[in-house]
Amino acid sequence: MTDPQIAVSMLGLFLLTIFLGFPICFTLMAMGVFFGYYAYFDPSRMWRGYDRAVEQGADALTLWQTWIEGLFNNRIFDLFINQTYSVMANDVLTAVPLFLFMGYIVERANIVTRLFDTLYIAARRLPGAMAVAALATCAMFATATGIVGAVVTLMGLLAFPAMLRAKYDTSFASGVICAGGCLGILIPPSIMLIVYAATSNVSIVKLYAGAMLPGFLLAGLYMIYVIGRAWLNPSLAPKPREEDTGRYSGGQIAVMLVTSFFPLAILILSVLGAILFGLATPSEAASVGALGGLVLAACYRSLTWERLRESVYLTVRTSAMVCWLFVGSWTFSSVFSYLGGEQLISEVVIGLDLSPVMFLLMAQLIIFLLGWPLEWSEIIIIFVPIFLPLLPHFGIDPLFFGILVALNLQTSFLTPPMAMSAYYLKGVAPPHVQLTHIFKGVMPFLSMIFLSMLLLYLFPGIAMFLPDYFYGK
Amino acid sequence: MLRFIDIADSISAWFGKAFAWCILIMTFGVGYEVFVRYVLRDPTSWAFDLSYMMYGTLFMMGGAYTLSRDGHVRGDFVYRLWRPATQAKVELVLYFLFFFPGILALIFAGWKYASRSWQYGEVSVMSPANIPIFQFKTVMVAAGVLLFIQGMAQVCRCIVCIRTGKWPEHAEDVEEMEAVLLKERDLARIGGESHALSHGDGDPK
Repeated sequence: MTDPQIAVSMLGLFLLTIFLGFPICFTLMAMGVFFGYYAYFDPSRMWRGYDRAVEQGADALTLWQTWIEGLFNNRIFDLFINQTYSVMANDVLTAVPLFLFMGYIVERANIVTRLFDTLYIAARRLPGAMAVAALATCAMFATATGIVGAVVTLMGLLAFPAMLRAKYDTSFASGVICAGGCLGILIPPSIMLIVYAATSNVSIVKLYAGAMLPGFLLAGLYMIYVIGRAWLNPSLAPKPREEDTGRYSGGQIAVMLVTSFFPLAILILSVLGAILFGLATPSEAASVGALGGLVLAACYRSLTWERLRESVYLTVRTSAMVCWLFVGSWTFSSVFSYLGGEQLISEVVIGLDLSPVMFLLMAQLIIFLLGWPLEWSEIIIIFVPIFLPLLPHFGIDPLFFGILVALNLQTSFLTPPMAMSAYYLKGVAPPHVQLTHIFKGVMPFLSMIFLSMLLLYLFPGIAMFLPDYFYGK
Repeated sequence: MLRFIDIADSISAWFGKAFAWCILIMTFGVGYEVFVRYVLRDPTSWAFDLSYMMYGTLFMMGGAYTLSRDGHVRGDFVYRLWRPATQAKVELVLYFLFFFPGILALIFAGWKYASRSWQYGEVSVMSPANIPIFQFKTVMVAAGVLLFIQGMAQVCRCIVCIRTGKWPEHAEDVEEMEAVLLKERDLARIGGESHALSHGDGDPK
């Protein structure tokens, strides 16, 4: 077997072992070390000390010692440590724990109820007011926290029963919550884009700028769908009667907005603004955001010692989960490309003689299918790098590709069999709500995601305008 | 064996949680940098080094803690369909095949790397402040040792599970909000209170 073939079988073996359900970061690490040992195996270099000892006619103990030393004198170990260290000292990834921390603090700040009630009152004259409010709350809260599960379960306990009581259609209501909760991984500041930046070496600042408009586009499409659907078919979302909502003057609504909607909006916008206008690096903006989150939580009287501790401990666990994946995958992928696997894949794909459109379609289709069984972190850290070296050949901007991937991975939370979003909602929903209801409700939102991908492809300016405008071509 | 699992879990958790507070140092340190840069126009020379050291230490030392709480990502779409005993058998083999070799490599190679750095008291090249960096390289070894201990505990978990047919329970700890809410929901259902829906923010406390 030639080296590139071994590299490809290494990838194949890895794919098989994913099915066994072992923590992926360790599998990657060990396979990187094993195959790397083979790749860098060089007897004359490794056992140089032993050979010298043999020449000098050293005693058995020294021979034995130098032989053992030789056995572990393989350059893979240096490579492994260097890769580990470069994950540890990576300046892009420093933003990961900070944004996570900000998210956990905001998540525990008792903000959702207030936000949802206010938005509902403010939107009460629109068709499907409660769904509109739920969607907007999901989008904002998800943007600030970036934690999909928490958004869906919290809203599943709060807005979902409220919608059912207001005689909303079950599928319609569940679709709104599942889809809305996922927006947080697309709209900046999102962890997913930081992770993509670290894998692709695209500037995180440009990625954030690029993801803004597509994020709002998708949220806007969702909103249009919700309002349009409720307007065309009022039985899906009956109008609230006045005694349900109560009467509010404009001033009262304004006060409610000022105390619930604006603080969170200002927090998000200031973090984003600082990054986009180059006032602060993403990590700096994230720590200011986390401090802002602490202040916000204190203002809502929900900053207790207990909650701070919870946030800190959850931050360390989630950061460890994401970053150890990098430790494994960087070792794995550098061995993979050293063996020539990357080259082989490039040659095969280029040999297929695809047009750029076909390639883009194929790549996105593969990522979509991977999203069924896997989560976004594994897809971005392990599988997306396989496509990245091919992008220059087809003349595709990695920034543009990244935004498409981010849109695409929205689906990974919504498609069975591992539709996390749907399962979280099912877990907290009343017993009569079936998974089939939820999936049926999610389908229109899935088609919105595909529509927005199509729009993005037809008008790449949606993603490229802001980065070009802010930072030049 | 259960006792060893407990001890290893608490060691990992202790270190993980202790180093988790790095996030707070990092938040305030970097926040301070932004403050002095824009308000006092006098940027610090150490904030950048501080931020990546805190980040690196945080996630490396948290590795074992995350493992003890089963927090590392796994592609478990097939795995979850198996009986616990089958899961444990497969995992037991994989720990020896895919876990210990990598971790041992991390410990020994990391040791070599860190001790070289200790010898000449290496400092960071990122800033003129001469921030020492050898202790940061030692984190790799420490994280490796913690993971090794925790790995042995995981092996014990597998053995217990193969014997008894079910996984030993994890210690009580903070959980993600969705997990807490789902659990509460299940308890409520068992208690027959299917109407306990709108309890404020759904906050666990």
